[in-house]
Amino acid sequence: MSAYIVRRLAWLPVILFVVSFSTFTIARFGPGDPVSVAAGQIRDPEVLERIRVERGLDRPIPVQYIKWLTNAVQGDLGESYLQQGFSVSELIFPRMWISAQLGFVALVIVFAIGIPLGLIAARFSGTWIDPMIIGTLLFLQAIPVLVLIPPLIWLFALQLNWLPVGGWDGIFDVWWIGGVIAVPIPDPHLYIPLIAFTLPGFVGVARLVRVSALEVNLSDYVRTARAKGLSEAAVQFRHILPNSLLPLITVVGFALASIIEGALFVETLLGINGIGRFLFEAVTSRDYDVILAATVIFSTVFVVTNLLAELCYGLVDPRVRIGSTRR
Amino acid sequence: MSQNRLLAILLSVLAGLVLVVGGLSAVLLLSGGGGDTTGPDGITTTGSGGNPTQPASGRLRLSGTDPVTLDPHTAGDASSAEYIVEIFSGLVTLTPDLDIVPDLAESFDVSPDGLTYTFVLRENATFHTGRRVTADDIKWSIERAASRELASPTALAYLGDIIGVREHFHGIADGVPGVEVVDERTVRITIDAPKPYFLAKLTYPTAFVVDRQQVESNPRNWTRRPNGTGAFKLAEWRLGERIVLQANAQYVLGAPKLSEVVYLLSGGSALTRFENDELDVAFVSVNDIDRARDPSSTLGPLYTAWPQFTISYIAFNTNVPPFDDVHVRRALGLAIDRARISEITFSNMLTPATGILMPGMPGYQSEDLTLPFDPEAAVAELALSRYVDDMPPIIISEVGAGAEARTDTQAFLEQWRTILGINVEVQQTDFATFLADQDAGRLQAFNAGWIMDYPDPEDILDLKFHSASTLNDVSYSNPEVDALLDRARIERDPAARLSTYQEAERLIVDEAAWLPLYFSLSHVVVQPQVTGWFEPPMVVPRLRFIEVSR
Repeated sequence: MSAYIVRRLAWLPVILFVVSFSTFTIARFGPGDPVSVAAGQIRDPEVLERIRVERGLDRPIPVQYIKWLTNAVQGDLGESYLQQGFSVSELIFPRMWISAQLGFVALVIVFAIGIPLGLIAARFSGTWIDPMIIGTLLFLQAIPVLVLIPPLIWLFALQLNWLPVGGWDGIFDVWWIGGVIAVPIPDPHLYIPLIAFTLPGFVGVARLVRVSALEVNLSDYVRTARAKGLSEAAVQFRHILPNSLLPLITVVGFALASIIEGALFVETLLGINGIGRFLFEAVTSRDYDVILAATVIFSTVFVVTNLLAELCYGLVDPRVRIGSTRR
Repeated sequence: MSQNRLLAILLSVLAGLVLVVGGLSAVLLLSGGGGDTTGPDGITTTGSGGNPTQPASGRLRLSGTDPVTLDPHTAGDASSAEYIVEIFSGLVTLTPDLDIVPDLAESFDVSPDGLTYTFVLRENATFHTGRRVTADDIKWSIERAASRELASPTALAYLGDIIGVREHFHGIADGVPGVEVVDERTVRITIDAPKPYFLAKLTYPTAFVVDRQQVESNPRNWTRRPNGTGAFKLAEWRLGERIVLQANAQYVLGAPKLSEVVYLLSGGSALTRFENDELDVAFVSVNDIDRARDPSSTLGPLYTAWPQFTISYIAFNTNVPPFDDVHVRRALGLAIDRARISEITFSNMLTPATGILMPGMPGYQSEDLTLPFDPEAAVAELALSRYVDDMPPIIISEVGAGAEARTDTQAFLEQWRTILGINVEVQQTDFATFLADQDAGRLQAFNAGWIMDYPDPEDILDLKFHSASTLNDVSYSNPEVDALLDRARIERDPAARLSTYQEAERLIVDEAAWLPLYFSLSHVVVQPQVTGWFEPPMVVPRLRFIEVSR
């Protein structure tokens, strides 16, 4: 098993090399460059060329790449053109952290609500309850975030004055009981983005769980469990529930990777200083080093979370043997 | 490990989290649900200074964005300049009325031949740290701004008139002989021709003073807490969150009336936050303009609109068919009804342009120089064109995300099609691609804009229409216009100079190298507690004039 992990992780540098080199090359083949974007309206071609020479952008791509790689290996991911005087790491990590917190809380809620709803739908399959649940969730998924957020802001921020209009101030706020005991509570900035993030997400989890539970329901061991006279609750919770959750593990890996990238629309509409919005701006303005660093970091997260998911799967389901033919 | 046990653990962790989040939400909702979760006196959850969205006396709350850089010598964009002109300063500055007045200098003197400017620094001119600003600081700053290593995009445009700056920038020579230190308080600047607009260029950040000690000790990161000479000090900069400026009581032109300015860099729609009393000033967009203009609405009494020195235009590449033919350009210009289109698509938020120079600019002519909307004249004009029977395909480019074209562009296309029978296509590209195509001269026609950098007609007429200018992106070339511009450049009599520019402007507009579309307005709402707020037509230091009372 550990040999397997080592072998998988040994591939990571190779993957990162391929990802970074292709991103590096593709970005530079795209029309335009950051020098031109950062220049503003005074665009003397002679001066722009001078800047490119000074920044090394006139050198052949492999030479530029090797220089980037040498620095990157030493932890220097370069500098931004749009936010001069700050290293790429300083720009990316704090924003990624904001998006990751938000995404993680959203993920937990999606699972916490999606799983039971999926199980209920499966349990009442064939009745009106099943299509009602799935239909409602599908409807929620169909509301574009762009349409969902403005009424939420209007209602909760402007009319009721309960929540701020946007922004981000961490997951937890502090609530004081009698001015002495501090109790952590969710920060008020959290609610609107969470609603926007989670509502469209329930249906994915619920449907997966529902299908899987229906399948498990037909399996021999569930029939046996029922046959030996176990109560319905015991059948549901001891047999159907755990086994129908198996496919979710693979989903978690992908979901974790994608949530870190944040949601462009949510972050833009609510003015949350996350990685999604930042990266969008970086791409449209050809901020090479930022694009590259983000791609490399996302690739790493993706590879690692998928490896973890695979390992979990192996642990949970003995039929899946990972990395070795003997056990 | 048995699968059930592992799953049970996973599930209970999940359930725990849900209970925590859910339970706490319930607690919050029961507690009256809301943003006001204040701690006991003296304990705040935020860092220094308390909650920036809470109003306080002498504190102004604005929305903003992270500046590209706070280095005055390399900044070329308006949003960086907004901060820079408050934190830094130079020998001269612009007043809100756009007069050029001494700043760090207490006086200046121009030699009779118009080539040499002698500045005497104020005795009390200091950096924020209290260090005196000397003539050496001025010379060092200009040499840094124009240095080869810094490769500033603005250096040549603003300092290139000074003897030796070009050689210094290209690394041919070291040092700028055109800037001489006479004594500790006197600096002499020599330029290559008697250009009356040179002084105006010195009001731009490229000519500002930076602290040599600070820059040299921390060349990469000094802009995070820069030691400037301006009316405000940068007290805090949290990327993407907020920028806090604090008054500099020692500022040579007088201490600010505000104690603190907080720029909030995130948080969603500025107008919504304004209505929620999180901001003191907000811009009004076209979606909200009717509401703001309605005097009976809550926003109505707080709304004002301010003309800007900004023009948007359609540029025709005069090198490329069919725009190498003046009749085609004029025909297209005669066939669009800008006033009506502006009214319908922008709710009159923009003023139809009457020429190239905006109202308020020196040399502005109150008569409308632009081609009038006249369908018959347009058809007649097109008939004169050599392309009348064989019109090449026309593509107009604009920056966009590949969705619908700008609404006004769509209206123009429709008028060109129905009046002239010319089908024009729109091509949308992202900003970087657009700039690359524009710089390479690949665009046939495009939507563009220009923001004045200093209040002199040279900054637009000479830069954009002289055949030898590198910023002439429509390849416009007219020997008569060139001759006028050359003359105006060194004309020392102000009235004669402006009338020369007016003549050039008339020719340029008449030949329709650009179709001037609109002059911009800045539409803002300001909280009643704020006094003295104004939107200058271009970036000038202004925060020290503003007051907040609560």
